[in-house]
Amino acid sequence: MNETPFLSIENLSKSFGSTQALDAVSLIIEKGKIFGLAGENGAGKSTLIKILCGVHVPDTGKMFLEGEPHHPRDPEAAERLGISVFHQEIPICPNLSIAANVFLGPAMPKKGLSPDWKVMNERCSELYRNLLGEEIDPTQLIRNCKAAEKQLALLVRVLSRNARLIILDEPTTALTPPEVARMFSIIKRLKDQGITFIFISHMLEELMELSDTITVLRDGKNVGTLIYSEFDRKTLSEMIAGRTLISRSAKAVSRETESYLEVRNLSLEQQFQEVSFKLGKGEILGIAGLQGSGRSELVRVLFGAPPASSGQIIINGKNCSILGPRDAIRAGVGYIPEDRNRLGIFDDMDVKLNLCMAGIDRFSRHGFIDKGNLRQVASRMQDDVAIKMESVDAPIRSLSGGNQQKVLISRWLALRPNILIMNEPTRGVDVGAKHEITELILNLSEEGYTFVIASSELEELVQISDLILVMNRGRVAKKFTGGEVTKDQLILAATT
Amino acid sequence: MMRLLKTAKSKTIQRIIGLRDFGVLVAAIVIAAFFSIATPVFLTPYNLFNLLRQTAQLGIIAMAMTILIVCGEFDLSVGAIYAVTGVVTGLLSRSLGVNIWIAALLGMVAALTLGFLNGLLIVTTKINSFIGTLSTMMVYRGIAMVLSQGQPISFELSFFMDLFGRGELFGTVPIPILWMAIWGVSMYFVLHRTSHGVKVFATGDNREAADLAGIKTARIKRIGFLITASAAGLSAIISLSFLKTVTPTQGTGLELEAIAAAVIGGTAMFGGVGSILGTFLGTFIMAEVRTGLVLLGTDAYIQDAFVGLVIAVAVIINVRLSFARK
Repeated sequence: MNETPFLSIENLSKSFGSTQALDAVSLIIEKGKIFGLAGENGAGKSTLIKILCGVHVPDTGKMFLEGEPHHPRDPEAAERLGISVFHQEIPICPNLSIAANVFLGPAMPKKGLSPDWKVMNERCSELYRNLLGEEIDPTQLIRNCKAAEKQLALLVRVLSRNARLIILDEPTTALTPPEVARMFSIIKRLKDQGITFIFISHMLEELMELSDTITVLRDGKNVGTLIYSEFDRKTLSEMIAGRTLISRSAKAVSRETESYLEVRNLSLEQQFQEVSFKLGKGEILGIAGLQGSGRSELVRVLFGAPPASSGQIIINGKNCSILGPRDAIRAGVGYIPEDRNRLGIFDDMDVKLNLCMAGIDRFSRHGFIDKGNLRQVASRMQDDVAIKMESVDAPIRSLSGGNQQKVLISRWLALRPNILIMNEPTRGVDVGAKHEITELILNLSEEGYTFVIASSELEELVQISDLILVMNRGRVAKKFTGGEVTKDQLILAATT
Repeated sequence: MMRLLKTAKSKTIQRIIGLRDFGVLVAAIVIAAFFSIATPVFLTPYNLFNLLRQTAQLGIIAMAMTILIVCGEFDLSVGAIYAVTGVVTGLLSRSLGVNIWIAALLGMVAALTLGFLNGLLIVTTKINSFIGTLSTMMVYRGIAMVLSQGQPISFELSFFMDLFGRGELFGTVPIPILWMAIWGVSMYFVLHRTSHGVKVFATGDNREAADLAGIKTARIKRIGFLITASAAGLSAIISLSFLKTVTPTQGTGLELEAIAAAVIGGTAMFGGVGSILGTFLGTFIMAEVRTGLVLLGTDAYIQDAFVGLVIAVAVIINVRLSFARK
């Protein structure tokens, strides 16, 4: 007799504008199992989850929950059906107790008009005992709890509302290894009680430890499913990266012998430790790693924002003490930040001021602005890096994302620096502009500019880097020489 | 076709934004026209000079406040600094017999010291400047009260008094107007023509980005507090010269009027947008409304209510414009 699967998804598709986020995905999720879901950023994992819990409506395809058609109107409707999503940004009230957070909502036990704390505390302890097998103090404030305790409170909260399918979206990023182990044992215990899980993680080892099956999504398609006995790191990272997409770089394997930028034992407390590398003039260093691996923090420290807690930065044989952006700029270092809007552009200003901001004193005469000179500098950069705009007096907001990024790059090029540090150089720009920016980086490196690039776009790193550092939990997990590395090797090093 | 329409529309919007000060100017002219029709006395040179003279002290402080607001901070203590400067100058010259020039100079030093303390407090503790300068406002006002024991101090006539408050240029232009003009032109150059001014805009527009562009944003803000304090000091000296007297309670509410003038002139409360000319016009509009109502013979108690309405209208237009721009 064929048992009805807990949740089955048939030919689900969803597109946003011209991007096909999900492309005819079919899945079956069994009751009481942990269903692992893997894939790169943008592979379609979060779109799938959002459709399941009613945030998005699919373009085509069907979903069945225990044989019944499933199309929730909103997250609340999905929660009533027993589907709960569990991620880092769940709203939680830090100044209330664990019990209050568990019962917060219309179903809160009341005595007259005021909340019935006695009943709530008792029921909260009972829930913890039954579900997690743990004793807690329900009156403790969430504010005083560790990250793991907070997550457990959220878990109990959804369980108290009769959740049957819990979607764990990267639940371990904020946890220490012993906390992860505790979390996992609790999840396994809940699984034995008949609760179904979808587990999303970038960490392959965690996926392999916890899941019963692992399904890989790539470019919105279901690439395949592995069952427990087939789990293997290499197979998984190849499935995530995609064999056909492994592109080798055009870079020569030979490296510069003389080092121009050298970093020795650089550390930033609680973020990354003991990073060392040597880079020649005109070379491109790529830094790969998952979010939270110290990738982004490392490049910020090279610019002095914030300064390193220990270690040395040696530029052109000179030991530089970089305590802030101004020291970095003086040492010939420029930084193009990861969040263009928040950290880069001045959106009430025009293009020329945005472009000249880092060198505003240099382009002024006795402290007075020389508009003609600013225009000249800006037009020269416009020609050099091909910025598309009406004029240098146009407001910065009138430019596309890619061209704004070029303005930010020009802000430093106008100062003729030696080293350019870029954090996510192509985030939020369209495909054409992406290509132009990588071309620009390659051309500039040939002119002798040295680059340090942190990026979550592995393909891009593989294409342009002479040297790639893979960060993992705050340490350099592996170093690859450009031209001999493939994307799946990077994924393997970053995720295990 | 749609695209053409869109760019045409965005161009019009851009033009309106480019003429922001022009909008405030139009408002000033419309209000002037209204009062000229309502009362013939309004549009006489004597009345206009009188109006400008009365508004000079507020104008000086409001233009300085504009620079501070543009870089993302406020100074509520200017009224109290204005009082302290007057009291210090008065005590030195009357009780201790110090020469009025030196007394006034030391009064300015006192003002700058208080401004420096404001900057130190706000920048190092990173507390909101509204709260920070609200507390220093009360402390400074207290200093003025304690030093003077709550008593007014009067001065004797001298060349100093003529130069800073009582004189009239060519026999017609009251000298405070000249001081406001000199101060206004300096503020205009600082904010709109120097690299320091660009950094002020950058700091208020996007502080983190400014830091990453190598701008010492903390220093920009500290200088802003020094500028508002020196404006308060200069205003206090003009006031004591004109009135020949200081009181420890003088300048109460001046800080809010200065902020109001800046806002009427198009300064954005969240920083990054503002102009000295706009603030001057904003100050002028407030003075117009007050003087015009007096000439119309309205109840003195209703005037503040009208000024309040003007502020509300200006802010609504201001907010609408910033939405159109986003």
